Amino acid sequence: MSNTDTPIHQVLIVGAGFSGLGTALRLQQNGVDDVVILERAADIGGTWRDNTYPGAACDIPSNLYSFSFAQNPRWTRSYAGSDEIRDYIHWLAEEYDLRRLVRFNRSVTGLSYDNASGVWTATTEEGDTVRARSAVMAQGPLSNPSFPNIPGLERFQGKTIHSADWDHDYDFEGKAVGVIGTGASGVQIVPELAKQAKKLRVFQRTPCWILPRLDFRKPDWQKAVFRKLPAAQSAVRNGLFLAHESIATGIIWDTPVNGALETLAKAHLRHQVKDKWLRRQLTPDFKLGCKRVLMSSDFYPALQKDNTELITWPIASISENGVRTGEGIEHQFDCLVFATGFSVPNSGTPFPVYGLNGRELGQEWRRGAQAYKSINVSGYPNLFMIFGPNSGPGHNSALVYIESQIEYIVKGVTTLRSLGIKALDVKDDVQATHNRRLQKRLAKTNWNSGCKSWYLTEDGYNATMYPGFASQYARQMKHLELRDYRLLSGSGAPQ
Amino acid sequence: MANIDLDTMLDKVRNTQWALADIDWDKPGAERITAEQWPKLKAFMSDLMWIEHVGARGFAAMARKAESDTLRELYTWFHAEEQRHANAEMALMRRWGMLEGDELPEPNINLRLTIEWLDRYSDDMPLEVLGSVIPMLEIALDGALLKFLLEEVDDPLCHEVFEKINADEARHLGVDFHVMELLGRGKLHQLAIKAIGTVGNPKLILGVLAYAPLLNRMRDNIVAMGLKEERLYEAMNKYERIGGRTKEGRRNPWFQIISQHGKMVVNRNHPYHKPVDALVSLSNYIPAKALGPVPTWVEKLTWRPTA
Ligand SMILES: Cc1cc2nc3c(=O)[nH]c(=O)nc-3n(C[C@H](O)[C@H](O)[C@H](O)COP(=O)(O)OP(=O)(O)OC[C@H]3O[C@@H](n4cnc5c(N)ncnc54)[C@H](O)[C@@H]3O)c2cc1C
Ligand SMILES: [Fe+2]
Ligand SMILES: [Fe+2]
Repeated sequence: MSNTDTPIHQVLIVGAGFSGLGTALRLQQNGVDDVVILERAADIGGTWRDNTYPGAACDIPSNLYSFSFAQNPRWTRSYAGSDEIRDYIHWLAEEYDLRRLVRFNRSVTGLSYDNASGVWTATTEEGDTVRARSAVMAQGPLSNPSFPNIPGLERFQGKTIHSADWDHDYDFEGKAVGVIGTGASGVQIVPELAKQAKKLRVFQRTPCWILPRLDFRKPDWQKAVFRKLPAAQSAVRNGLFLAHESIATGIIWDTPVNGALETLAKAHLRHQVKDKWLRRQLTPDFKLGCKRVLMSSDFYPALQKDNTELITWPIASISENGVRTGEGIEHQFDCLVFATGFSVPNSGTPFPVYGLNGRELGQEWRRGAQAYKSINVSGYPNLFMIFGPNSGPGHNSALVYIESQIEYIVKGVTTLRSLGIKALDVKDDVQATHNRRLQKRLAKTNWNSGCKSWYLTEDGYNATMYPGFASQYARQMKHLELRDYRLLSGSGAPQ
Repeated sequence: MANIDLDTMLDKVRNTQWALADIDWDKPGAERITAEQWPKLKAFMSDLMWIEHVGARGFAAMARKAESDTLRELYTWFHAEEQRHANAEMALMRRWGMLEGDELPEPNINLRLTIEWLDRYSDDMPLEVLGSVIPMLEIALDGALLKFLLEEVDDPLCHEVFEKINADEARHLGVDFHVMELLGRGKLHQLAIKAIGTVGNPKLILGVLAYAPLLNRMRDNIVAMGLKEERLYEAMNKYERIGGRTKEGRRNPWFQIISQHGKMVVNRNHPYHKPVDALVSLSNYIPAKALGPVPTWVEKLTWRPTA
């Protein structure tokens, strides 16, 4: 590697989704312009570039699912569809001229830090190296589609489609279709496919708690008011934020609100499903909030259409023609849709990351990831993570969390420059104390109440979720306390 | 069979799944069913298939109560496997010309009552009750009915199918008795208090009123087919022997109750049979209409290997 010839940028960012683009945007607004974004795909957008399946939409009100520093007055629905969110991201990129920072089709394969120079080097699958003072990992919490581990998966002769890699040319009209998975994507896809397919079978392993979703078209007057009076939109946004915060008391902890939400979800189910056995099949046997709570008003009705059936027999294998379940029957299909989500590494890292003296983060995280305020890790100076350990929002807009992480990164990067130092490295003991407190608080949450979910590692360690309100998280991120860090001196900004 | 490892068992269950499509239902051999056998076999298969289905629903209820993920998964599989047995037995009936179109065999009234009870109350029963009753049904099925069937029926395909079913059943019994022992752990007086609390539960009493005549009716049907009563009783004794081989097993009050009940059932001269046989006769007068439509879980039964 001819490292000496490559220029040293101020910041390199992995990923051009909401997180990567938002970071670049805010850095730019704070005078940090020398930023490179490495994106493995051919376009920006992340989640909303990939998840274009029929019915894809956010389940957080759109007014809250947007950046406060760049609000969108044009939302047409209270819960925007995937295309509208994608349009918003594209608008962000045009408006703030961010595309010029992105190098597309660059899949990062490793990050490593050089002690002496205080420089991070990213390598890519395509063979380039990019160097910078600071590195931001914004590769997305849910960006690697996962397929279930079912024997015979590769034998199926029909069409297979993953929800996060939709084939818009495939015509479902007149087809027999099997959907595997009834999580966040599954409950959105099923009502749409039920309208098109001749026969639809929905394979469910565990039912989720589902709350009714009140989606409505935004009246034109509201759009007009928001355009003219951004303050009104901010007020609505604040109201929605608080509403979700109060729901958190029910989702995250076992409080009376939790009971109330379960009652609401059960009433919703009873109202929409008259058959007792189907209702039983759809009733979760874990506490609401232990896994992600879903929002849908059309999933239950779709399951009861004449062409559709819910199958809860465990899947034994996949054959040339379809899915074989434990009751001994082969359910035959033209197409199998995998709404089976993403592989979420709650231990290890998505690619090797080397810090001070060659230490490797994946090794240190083998038994479960940990960081300081989810964003820095001791021994990895000037490395920032978005959606690092314990930053998962169980109940509120991811963008609210992303935003406070972005502001923290901006503080970190500008501090390096204003103090003229080489690097900030969070102190070991500060990080340890932080995590002891976190795990203590997590032990009291519903996520740790006994159900298996992607929030937990195999041995039940929760390295994913933040055990508190979004506002608490925002407060913790508001200040970058220099006393928490070792300040490494040396050459500062590359000027 | 003493202490099995449930995780290993779960792997085994996952790796030994079979499907109706694995079997060639049109293979020669069906003609070996004699005209004399036919009507009795039809009644027998129909009872058998319904018992499998009732067992399936029992496992579904148990899955809800299991305290570990592994056990819950095992019961979820067993629920499906019992359904598979019922489906496969229907496919055999179909092969032997005992079923028309998509119709289900007619369940006798005691089965209907049991189905009704399972639908309404089984999810409310503590694991101790179902976890101790199901092994009794399974052992009677495995030890008496299936063996008898194989002695009587010459069709090689029947043997092929029941070889698969029996392999599943061996695993069920392994887990059944393991769990019975687990249920006997803990302080004896606490177990007893809990059991006494449940015994008075009206839902359970209704269950007994469905279950006891069912057993007697089955006995009558089987005897009519030529099975020696002793075979059934031997199987029931086996329940007592295996269930009672460890201290924990014997401490499970439900094991005690069901073994005692088994002894009464086995003893033809026991006064137990007077009221129960009376119930059987009585139940003949219940019009099927009085029970309303069957629950929708029953409608999922099918002899068709593919859907
Ligand atoms: C179907 C779906 C619905 C959702 N709905 C909601 C919702 O309603 N509310 C909510 O708050 N959140 C929701 N989320 C979560 C959503 O992921 C976040 O809200 C947000 O979009 C994350 O943005 P991001 O930029 O961090 O990650 P992403 O959008 O995933 O972007 C990461 C980018 O990094 C790129 N990348 C990954 N690895 C590499 C690599 N090695 N090298 C280079 N580039 C790489 C990816 O290609 C991608 O473009 C949803 C997620 C999904 C999948
Ligand atoms: Fe069986
Ligand atoms: Fe069984």
